[in-house]
Amino acid sequence: MSQHHQPAFTIACEACGVDTDTDSANEIVAFYRRHHRQTGHDVVLTRADLEFDLPVADDDLESVVAELEAHYDDGVPIGVVAAVMSERGYAVGETLEEIDDVRMTGALYEPRDDHLAAV
Amino acid sequence: MTRWNNGLDEVEAVSPDITDETNALPAQYFTDPDVHEMEKEAVFGQYWVYAGHVNCIPEPGDYFTRTIGDREIIVVRNHEGDVQAFYNVCAHRGSAMVEETPMTDPGSASRIQCPYHLWTYDLDGDLASTPRSFEEARLNPDLEDEDVPELDAEENALMEVHSDRIGPFVFVNFDEEPMSLDEQAGKMKSELEALPLEEYQLARRIVSEVECNWKVFGGNYSECDHCQANHQDWVRDLELLESELEVNDYHWVLHYQHKEDVDDEMRIHEEHEAKFYYFWPNFTVNMYGTADGYGTYIIDPIDEGRFQLVADYYFEDPDLSEEEAEFVRTSRQLQEEDFELVERQQRGLDSGAIAQAQLGPNEHTVHKLHRLAQEAYEA
Ligand code: FES
Ligand SMILES: [Fe+2]
Repeated sequence: MSQHHQPAFTIACEACGVDTDTDSANEIVAFYRRHHRQTGHDVVLTRADLEFDLPVADDDLESVVAELEAHYDDGVPIGVVAAVMSERGYAVGETLEEIDDVRMTGALYEPRDDHLAAV
Repeated sequence: MTRWNNGLDEVEAVSPDITDETNALPAQYFTDPDVHEMEKEAVFGQYWVYAGHVNCIPEPGDYFTRTIGDREIIVVRNHEGDVQAFYNVCAHRGSAMVEETPMTDPGSASRIQCPYHLWTYDLDGDLASTPRSFEEARLNPDLEDEDVPELDAEENALMEVHSDRIGPFVFVNFDEEPMSLDEQAGKMKSELEALPLEEYQLARRIVSEVECNWKVFGGNYSECDHCQANHQDWVRDLELLESELEVNDYHWVLHYQHKEDVDDEMRIHEEHEAKFYYFWPNFTVNMYGTADGYGTYIIDPIDEGRFQLVADYYFEDPDLSEEEAEFVRTSRQLQEEDFELVERQQRGLDSGAIAQAQLGPNEHTVHKLHRLAQEAYEA
């Protein structure tokens, strides 16, 4: 019997009625960017299986990243941040905007491309 | 005869004659990341590719952006009312200037301004103004203000991309000396321009990501041998044996006869059939036999194993009636059915078992697609 593998994330555009599955958190972000470029639509996560319990901190993006950092050596993939923020009602594009805003304050930085760490 | 991968890597060029055994593009061209990179130049850098629809930018200053391969362009309506295309790249130090702006949500600007040092361009691309710091040498002790040359508006204009139209459809070409759009489009141009395409508005855009090479989907679109088995709802109303697949230099047309005729008011065109145009490399115009409207597909590669299908639907009124909304849903169902087929085909190709497939005698449209791909790679 083959075991059917369930991908970790499902991302959907409600306006288009399309969705896609992926195992890679940052593919969430890549999907959003491609989709937004063609349509201007935001996209949401309709399923996210993270390998650890979600942080319980408040909505504040900075504290979410700070808590998630314990699970990663070299920055938190922004897709994982998007997944956690989606539990708090944020669409993917909204999270990315929020990340940009907080980075502009200097409180977050990117140790490598599309990964976040608190300063 | 199909060629399996028996360790000999025996493949040959796509034969000109469809009855020869080597009539398909070798499988590697659907799976290799280097081929995807190469196609950005050899295919999407050479031929006329669709950029968007003029009805989305009706007023001077309206613009949208579009990314083709690695190139980002701005398509803008200038003060004369003409549509032009430019690289989204500033003539000063090369910054990208405007943010990505899809055709469904166009922007509007009286001039194009680069946010970096505020060089500002007219809607026809000419440099219109620069800040004072580009006219004086205040910070440079070795230069006098008088020595600073004035910037020529045309020499420092944005880089224009060749653009031309078929009716309201805007096409661009990145080649320095491209063949004309008239030549690439052939009689598709006069056929489409005989129809009142401008009178219809973009009503709906559905974008899907599909896990297959863009040419796999292109091939699937181009034949209907798979329809009986896979689009049962759709073919119920079609006279498949009366259909015809017509091949031209850079486009092919699929004529599908309906079993029962619908009123002429229900169609934009005269013919009593659905008429689907595939325009090399990755654009289709869909003239439905049963709806007063039309559609387009852009088959946009993401990488060698994925593409985006951008499906646009045009109707007289952008607010869809219940029938029209139902029509779009049916079209969407057809897409879903096709996605399953093309993703399954890609899985087979990815396995590496097949080196070169073979095409059937009624797959002359697919053969044309494969021939054009090979011609592009060799050019
Ligand atoms: S790069 Fe555009 S103004 Fe400097
Ligand atoms: Fe199909």
